Amino acid sequence: MAASFASKCSRVGRSLLGGLGNNLSGLQSASNEVVGNNVWSQMRTVLKVVDNSGAKKVMCIQALKGKKGARLGDTIVASVKEAMPNGKVKKGKVVYGVVVRAAMQRGRCDGSEVKFDDNAVVLVDKQGQPIGTRVFGPVPHELRNKKHVKILTLAKHIA
Amino acid sequence: MQSFIGGSIRLGQRHGFYSWSGAHFKANRAYLATNNSSSLIHGSDNSINSSRNHLLQSLGQTRLGSQTKELMLPGCSGGCSMPGLSQLAAMMSTCSSRSMTTAASPTPDSSQSVTDVPPRIKFKRLDKTAKHIMQILDKEAVEEVKAQREIPDIKPGNIVQLRVEVPENKRRVSTIKGIVIARRNAGLNTTFRLRRMVAGVGVESLFPLYSPNIKEIKVLDKKTVRRAKLYYLRDKMNALR
Repeated sequence: MAASFASKCSRVGRSLLGGLGNNLSGLQSASNEVVGNNVWSQMRTVLKVVDNSGAKKVMCIQALKGKKGARLGDTIVASVKEAMPNGKVKKGKVVYGVVVRAAMQRGRCDGSEVKFDDNAVVLVDKQGQPIGTRVFGPVPHELRNKKHVKILTLAKHIA
Repeated sequence: MQSFIGGSIRLGQRHGFYSWSGAHFKANRAYLATNNSSSLIHGSDNSINSSRNHLLQSLGQTRLGSQTKELMLPGCSGGCSMPGLSQLAAMMSTCSSRSMTTAASPTPDSSQSVTDVPPRIKFKRLDKTAKHIMQILDKEAVEEVKAQREIPDIKPGNIVQLRVEVPENKRRVSTIKGIVIARRNAGLNTTFRLRRMVAGVGVESLFPLYSPNIKEIKVLDKKTVRRAKLYYLRDKMNALR
């Protein structure tokens, strides 16, 4: 869109930094560093887990559907990097996840865009049903189109 | 649509055309003939000669005529609006040497009194207007939207509350409250960015200012800021709002 293109032009240097910054600073907790403009969730991106499935951080291994990476609402394959001691998933497990918050803006059909401050994921199984029973934080409307209705109902706030 | 026709007719007037040959405008002329008898004469200070004066006033009535009559018009005007402009262009090229006899350019608009549009066609030469046609159309569209809804002035640093109807969430309007951190002026596509804290997570949304989905905008508060784009707020931790 024109708006994102204009802002992309003016911050092209920052977006490059943001891309690197996001991947490098992955292992530290989500610090609000340089917010890159167009950062896909690709391989080796570390995302926060916002449900109570037991994992804390996962690293993306593969973005299903999409050569460049995953965006808001897409599914990814991830490996659990950090987990709570008693949880349904353990460290090192390969899981599927749905990106529910992304620092990359996602355009909506009415011309508006939405962008979050962090990258977050909800773990699901192969069929798309969430593993956990609660979802923290806001989730966007885009999940409705992608048929992740269960996550929407679990969420407390729909951004 | 009818403003476009009115505009194109006015363009023709400026070049001193008062005889429209061509099948396109036969429908218009028949319409004018019927309307003439029942037309009201608005006061006008045109200094042009009488025949053109009549045409001018009757053309003025095309815009101010009754609603039902105007509904008849779209059928033909939809078809002949574009050919009208191309015909104008053709006429212009052939008769560009004709002198400009209409003395004042903006005063003919006074005959189309009531409605709108301040003389947006500033140039007497048609090809000069054509360069700015996109700008003119854009301004028109903006004014149209502004006339319908009341859209306050949104500057960066304002704290604003929106009532938005989200098409995906067919349930009605959600209220969104946040601080405006950026505004980008682009005519009809003027957008502004809103930053808010939702459940502990910062969310930024970009909205087109004249979007029909935005039902209401209310400015709650103003912060004094010294720049136009407040992206530094992303690093600062906002107070929960």
